[in-house]
Amino acid sequence: MFELMQALRDGANALKSHYLNSISINAGCELFIEFVRLFPHETKSFDDLKVEIGKQGRQYAKEAMSYRSKIADLALGFIKDGSVILTHSYSRVVMQALLKAHKLKRISVYVTEARPRGLGVKTYEALTAAGIPCTIVLDSAVAYVMDKVDIVLVGSEAVVESGGLINAVGSNQMAIIAKAANVPFYAMAESYKFHSLFPLSQYDLPTHTPNTLAFPKHSVRPADLSVVRPSTLSVHTNPPPSPIRTSTSLAAIHSPVQFSMGPDQTKLNPEVDYTRPDLISLVFSDVGILTPDGVSQYLVGMFAG
Amino acid sequence: MTRAERRELQEKQRAAKKEKEAAAPAGDGAGGKGKAKAGASSAKATTSQNAQPSGTPSKDAGRDAPGSQDPDGPRGQRIFSHFGSQKPPSSGKTPSSDPIHPAVIRLGLQFSEFKIVGANARCIATLTALRNVIQDYSTPANTTLSRHLEKHLGPQITHLVSARPMAVTMGNAIRQLKKYISECDIDLPDKDAKDLLCDKIDTYIRDRIVLADQVIVENAVKKINDGDTVLTYARSSAVQKILLGAHGEGKNISVVVVDSRPLLEGKNLLSVLTNAGIPCTYMLLPSLGSYLSSHSGNISSVLLGAHSIHADGAVFSRSGTALVAMMARTHTIPVLVACETYKFSEAVVLDGFTKNELGDLSVFPPYPSVIPNSKLLRERSPNSKLELFNPLYDLTSAKDITAVVTEVGIIPASSISLIPLALGR
Repeated sequence: MFELMQALRDGANALKSHYLNSISINAGCELFIEFVRLFPHETKSFDDLKVEIGKQGRQYAKEAMSYRSKIADLALGFIKDGSVILTHSYSRVVMQALLKAHKLKRISVYVTEARPRGLGVKTYEALTAAGIPCTIVLDSAVAYVMDKVDIVLVGSEAVVESGGLINAVGSNQMAIIAKAANVPFYAMAESYKFHSLFPLSQYDLPTHTPNTLAFPKHSVRPADLSVVRPSTLSVHTNPPPSPIRTSTSLAAIHSPVQFSMGPDQTKLNPEVDYTRPDLISLVFSDVGILTPDGVSQYLVGMFAG
Repeated sequence: MTRAERRELQEKQRAAKKEKEAAAPAGDGAGGKGKAKAGASSAKATTSQNAQPSGTPSKDAGRDAPGSQDPDGPRGQRIFSHFGSQKPPSSGKTPSSDPIHPAVIRLGLQFSEFKIVGANARCIATLTALRNVIQDYSTPANTTLSRHLEKHLGPQITHLVSARPMAVTMGNAIRQLKKYISECDIDLPDKDAKDLLCDKIDTYIRDRIVLADQVIVENAVKKINDGDTVLTYARSSAVQKILLGAHGEGKNISVVVVDSRPLLEGKNLLSVLTNAGIPCTYMLLPSLGSYLSSHSGNISSVLLGAHSIHADGAVFSRSGTALVAMMARTHTIPVLVACETYKFSEAVVLDGFTKNELGDLSVFPPYPSVIPNSKLLRERSPNSKLELFNPLYDLTSAKDITAVVTEVGIIPASSISLIPLALGR
């Protein structure tokens, strides 16, 4: 039995090492390992046990496909006719909820661009194809748009033991602004995303490395301040890229010059962030509609035994 | 009327009542009660407009009625008389025929002189003393061990409680011991039953305290990173083990020890940590506010101990802990409480006032050390207006606590009530 547990853990570690952002994989693996540990071994032989575990695992995977639909049904009651919904990036469970709501009510959706991967555009295209009025919002315009919004609906990578949420970077920001504007912030998470992690802060996440948001090590002061190094910026303009002007002359530019950070800067930025439980109003999940406290109680009951 | 004027009026009424009582000694029980009730209702009427937070005057008048407290005694003692306070431990003789076991007498003295402090230490000492009592016990004729032993332990426990009010840990352990005793097989011969009970006591100490602490250290050390600065308050045995454990794993940590009068328990922790080679900073609680305003960026986390934890997640701990937790929360520093599951108390307490313990200042080291305590205490003559108030515990609410580290894992404070369920109890 112990060898099986060890083999499972090794397999889980191998899976995790393949992906940069392994939190949801972690959650799923932990859940399965816990299930195997607690599974009563009443079967006659080890082979029977293996078959039984495999059968249960496959059945769970099949049922798990229906979780998103269950969650979408639960959320229907909270989406009123004519409401304006703000969502972040792309989430399959939020998509299902919005599409289901659209069949019965009139909704309009703001979605953030979610740089650098820009998954918000994917959401925009899917919603527009379904006939839902949708507008993409700049990540920095969330505070601007919040007063127009009735509810915020986000998906999740994981829901953690504190009752907090781990989701694409920008969710924490959205939650803080929603709290300040008194807009309810709802998270949607399938129960296999409940994770027994307990981050004490943003920097306590497993995805946070010493490189994340680190300053460059060798910062050399340029002798001539009028010329800024162009290496970290890539410029999208139609005219050929000219040497970057200093701040005083940038104000005089009239052509729509668009800058975006290069890949080496993008690497320094986080992919997910942690939202504290006191900022989350409710968590919609297939086990029911839970408060963040309720999520932590569910997790304690599951993992602390 | 201002509050001061109202109080003057009450004093006059009280003095007048005293004269009446002295003049008419026959009006003892019932008459005194009637007068006191009249005094109480008039006191309530005068203070009805003024919302006094502690309800001082009505409580005072109420206390007069039973007549058990000295009406001339200091007001403070009357207000907080529902707190346990120290009395010198009673002599070895009790009303019942059972004499108090010498181990228990010794322990009572150690408790009352604060030689043994801390929830874990007191529990282990209590269980060890009771173990001795059980070993020396012999069942009298016409009764069985499982029925009589509990009765026999009663006066011993009462003696300990008279030295210092019962700790939650002691209470939980004794409750478990009584359960073991009642489960004892009637047919078992005395010696075997006693050995079994002693074995169960040893297992309880080992599993719920010693091993639990080891798992807590493992869990907590994961949250302490290389280069962290950890802040702690007073002295918790669990926190000491965690800090030594982190240092032992090779992590470079530094510790800020915050301490307070009159117990100054932080000094013990400081000497243990510095002997282990951990760089430490030491300060008294009043300086913590200024320190955090300028240095909050340096502190990675706050690690606190607990005397007990309640069902709603509120932590009952050394007086001053709540202040440290609140200040840390203001500066968004995570607060971790290290607490074994046997410290769980099913009661829900709303504030530190409902249940607490007053410490007698005469046993604590004086500060500054050049002024002896006797000079401070000399002030407390019967007519003195100076009252020294020294509660030993306070209550930290669950919202100031980021996480509780227990042997079943790191959990948020609000989920504490599920632990007995998770442990299968």
